[in-house]
Amino acid sequence: MWETWLWAWCPKESQKADEYLREIQELGQLTQAVQQCIEAAGHEHQPDMQKSLLRVGLEGRAGQGWEGGGMDSWGSSLCCPLALLRRLPLETSIPMRVRRVLTARGDGEQGKYRYKQLTIQVLLDRYGKPRAGATLPPLSTPSHSLLYPLAIQICEYLRLPEVQGVSRILAHWACYKVQQKDVSDEDVARAINQKLGDTPGVSYSDIAARAYGCGRTELAIKLLEYEPRSGEQVPLLLKMKRSKLALSKAIESGDTDLVFTVLLHLKNELNRGDFFMTLRNQPMALSLYRQFCKHQELETLKDLYNQDDNHQELGSFHIRASYAAEERIEGRVAALQTAADAFYKAKNEFAAKATEDQMRLLRLQRRLEDELGGQFLDLSLHDTATTLILGGHNKRAEQLARDFRIPDKRLWWLKLTALADLEDWEELEKFSKSKKSPIGYLPFVEICMKQHNKYEAKKYASRVGPEQKVKALLLVGDVAQAADVAIEHRNEAELSLVLSHCTGATDGATADKIQRARAQAQKK
Amino acid sequence: MAFPHRPDAPELPDFSMLKRLARDQLIYLLEQQHEVDKLYKVENKPALSSNEQLCFLVRPRIKNMRYIANLVNADKLAGRTRKYKVIFSPQKFYACEMVLEEEGIYGDVSCDEWAFSLLPLDVDLLSMELPEFFRDYFLEGDQRWINTVAQALHLLSTLYGSFPNCYGIGRCAKMSYELWRKLEEEEDGETKGRRPEIGHIFLLDRDVDFVTALCSQVVYEGLVDDTFRIKCGSVDFGPEVTSSDKSLKVLLNAEDKVFNEIRNEHFSNVFGFLSQKARNLQAQYDRRRGMDIKQMKNFVSQELKGLKQEHRLLSLHIGACESIMKKKTKQDFQELIKTEHALLEGFNIRESTSYIEEHIDRQVSPIESLRLMCLLSITENGLIPKDYRSLKTQYLQSYGPDHLLTFSNLRRAGLLTEQAPGDTLTAVESKVSKLVTDKAAGKITDAFSSLAKRSNFRAISKKLNLIPRVDGEYDLKVPRDMAYVFSGAYVPLSCRIVEQVLERRSWQGLDEVVRLLNCSEFAFTDMTKDDKASSESLRLILVVFLGGCTFSEVSALRFLGREKGYRFIFLTTAVTNSARLMEAMSEVKA
Repeated sequence: MWETWLWAWCPKESQKADEYLREIQELGQLTQAVQQCIEAAGHEHQPDMQKSLLRVGLEGRAGQGWEGGGMDSWGSSLCCPLALLRRLPLETSIPMRVRRVLTARGDGEQGKYRYKQLTIQVLLDRYGKPRAGATLPPLSTPSHSLLYPLAIQICEYLRLPEVQGVSRILAHWACYKVQQKDVSDEDVARAINQKLGDTPGVSYSDIAARAYGCGRTELAIKLLEYEPRSGEQVPLLLKMKRSKLALSKAIESGDTDLVFTVLLHLKNELNRGDFFMTLRNQPMALSLYRQFCKHQELETLKDLYNQDDNHQELGSFHIRASYAAEERIEGRVAALQTAADAFYKAKNEFAAKATEDQMRLLRLQRRLEDELGGQFLDLSLHDTATTLILGGHNKRAEQLARDFRIPDKRLWWLKLTALADLEDWEELEKFSKSKKSPIGYLPFVEICMKQHNKYEAKKYASRVGPEQKVKALLLVGDVAQAADVAIEHRNEAELSLVLSHCTGATDGATADKIQRARAQAQKK
Repeated sequence: MAFPHRPDAPELPDFSMLKRLARDQLIYLLEQQHEVDKLYKVENKPALSSNEQLCFLVRPRIKNMRYIANLVNADKLAGRTRKYKVIFSPQKFYACEMVLEEEGIYGDVSCDEWAFSLLPLDVDLLSMELPEFFRDYFLEGDQRWINTVAQALHLLSTLYGSFPNCYGIGRCAKMSYELWRKLEEEEDGETKGRRPEIGHIFLLDRDVDFVTALCSQVVYEGLVDDTFRIKCGSVDFGPEVTSSDKSLKVLLNAEDKVFNEIRNEHFSNVFGFLSQKARNLQAQYDRRRGMDIKQMKNFVSQELKGLKQEHRLLSLHIGACESIMKKKTKQDFQELIKTEHALLEGFNIRESTSYIEEHIDRQVSPIESLRLMCLLSITENGLIPKDYRSLKTQYLQSYGPDHLLTFSNLRRAGLLTEQAPGDTLTAVESKVSKLVTDKAAGKITDAFSSLAKRSNFRAISKKLNLIPRVDGEYDLKVPRDMAYVFSGAYVPLSCRIVEQVLERRSWQGLDEVVRLLNCSEFAFTDMTKDDKASSESLRLILVVFLGGCTFSEVSALRFLGREKGYRFIFLTTAVTNSARLMEAMSEVKA
């Protein structure tokens, strides 16, 4: 209402202005009035008229006491485009449309009549980007494409930095360019790239989005090729349902999150087979997806391996299942059987055999638990045997060793340790005499000493082979004899070893003996 | 003892900035959520808190998401309504959100990111604390953390200026580097004006050098890590160390004056040093006899506190040493080290193999056995088929059949492999190279090596002179090269590579080594002509270990720095050691 009112009288009879002003003031609506005057000035195309309108507004403010804030900022935001307009050479003959664009009113959030703050950037955007729609008279294409040079001229005049100025206009130009339906995709893309090159601040993906908006998908893809940041290309590619391309772009970007986003898109978009095929060609995406499946979708993981005929991994998968997913022994054995089959297919005979052994062991452990009680399940072969010996089932342990081909050395270590733990010295001695020890007799000495049984240790020390004899004798604390052996061996290293064990007065004689032997050896 | 830096050694950059930055960001995130009263570990357990809101600070792992989902769903079942907030550190992964969605709780939680990727463990050591990086990348081929690495590098260059010289080796190094460059380009302008504080950056993949990481550590800090496990720069010393009935958590860094002097020392020197130190301390205490009142007052107010502190630390480290000695100086450990050295030098392979076999048969330690097998495999270019089968069989018999999966993992990662039948590539290679030019021969072997990635350790060792020739005893008190961190028997490969490249300022002349490392496509140099870099900054080098570094490597490079007047700074995805590597590869029953 106020607007029309002011519009009606303002330019015509300025004498009446004061009267109206007073009236307005009485109504307590001065603030609005002043605002509207200024707005009106903005709407006017003739500089004279603008001036008078502004003057009215300013007088109102000065005379009656201005209460509303923000006047100054209004003034300056208005002044900018106005001043600019006036300073531009007249012969550029700015079309009416442009003037209106410059002074167009935007709808602010709060007030209906608030001026949109026309910053230079907005101005340029308006300038460069002709608004489609009824608010502006339709313009012929050639005339409005002529505005771009003008806009660039303005930028240069204002010495705007490239990113804020020229780049923006070029971007707008490109957006306009993609709307030219009569030009081929090739030509448009090339033209845009020629003009824009890699101007900073230009986003090819934005332009591509515009092209896609106009229904030119192919052009959009071509434009995206110019986008240097591969990550920026992905969202649009996804939108355009070019998911596979999006996937390779995402991988290029090195951003795993982006890759994952695309993967889930693909998963929903493609059927399972195609999805897997796509993954197959992208190892990085595949490993990412596998990681996810390992935690979230175990079945999918299996399918993935199946698809690839990756029997090795399938085998591993079932092994894992045999102890993680299955509870019942039958289920576990079955899982192991599947694993073994897979390993055979993968030509990994070693793993297959090991898996079959494990199946046998599991069954046996189950039987042992039933017959003997106690815990056997999930023990390793070694620990199973040890547990048997510790439980006094020596026969069973030996049977186990035969059945599972436990090597002699291991069996000796195992028995030795277990019997010493039991402190079953009698059995240990019997065992040591059962045949010649494959691990020598030093371990017997060591283990007896570990259990602080010097008496037993000495028994074995005498049986230790010559190479380790000195060590064994020192272990049982027989320094004197160790010295004798070392001297006999004429081994310098052994002599020093014994010497380092000679402590205090007790071994004084031995130490002397060694020194003498050394001296003698040197003489020779 | 504790060699001082050369007087012209450059100052280290101030890492406290990183801490402040991270802290401020976390405080900001937490302030949005009011009154965080207590922290709980995210576990698969019902939440004990009676609070109306729960805030989870987690790594972006699917497992963690499941825990949270279980918790939220349990609340739902019980008819409880709470607010939930998940803060992901260092970043959120889409896969995690997916899981929340699939578990039906995406609408119930709000998510945030805490971009805390660099934890300064010490004045010269930054850790991303991502031990999972190793398994994820080198075993599963999962590249998710590369982006995190690139972000971290980007942060460093914003804070300390861009790096004028970049070098790298390894596939992951190259990817991280390229991604990082991309980030810099996208946000250019910011860093350009800054004067670079750090002159060089060197990126290195762990799989370039597995050998070093697999060796037993004998430098004090490494040994402490191997024995007690240092976590996040601190260690739990048990009762056997503290000689009381309590465990004590001790921070191990440059602030600990005693530790700082012995951390890089070969263990054989440490005890002597500590006892000397103890005597000095006693002498200082003793000074108070014969003091007059004023001097005594001075002593009590100024020195006593420091002395007491030092006393406390000293007794702790002596306790630690004793405990290590008890565990390690037994005959077993010496035999072990002897075997390792034999493997590194490549002699008595049969003897070493039977040592390993005995190790397995006796069930000495599952992780140790595995480590020795890997060491044997890498140094020998894979095990001969007979040993490969028999060692694996023995291992399965000792430790259970589920380790079949462990072996499959180790093979995939290239840690434990079988020599291909008829693997006489070296013979063919040498013949070919006599016939054609070296370059062509390189190409031919490249084609072969793409079929079976070979470690070529022996050849590399010869080229880079990793096994020092020792005339007489190697004096560990006065080390003459980086080999001292392995008792003078072996110069860590990773550190040698860094040294060589820095000397040349490029990979030039190292083509053969790079080829043997199977990294022909992944060795790069990038120098920007930057006049702004001061000569001081040019002697500051950031070494980035992708997949973890060991304290021995850190010690070795610290030594190199002292020798050459450089300062090294380390950025690692996590501090690692042989046991951690092996555990990462093991399949453990869940």
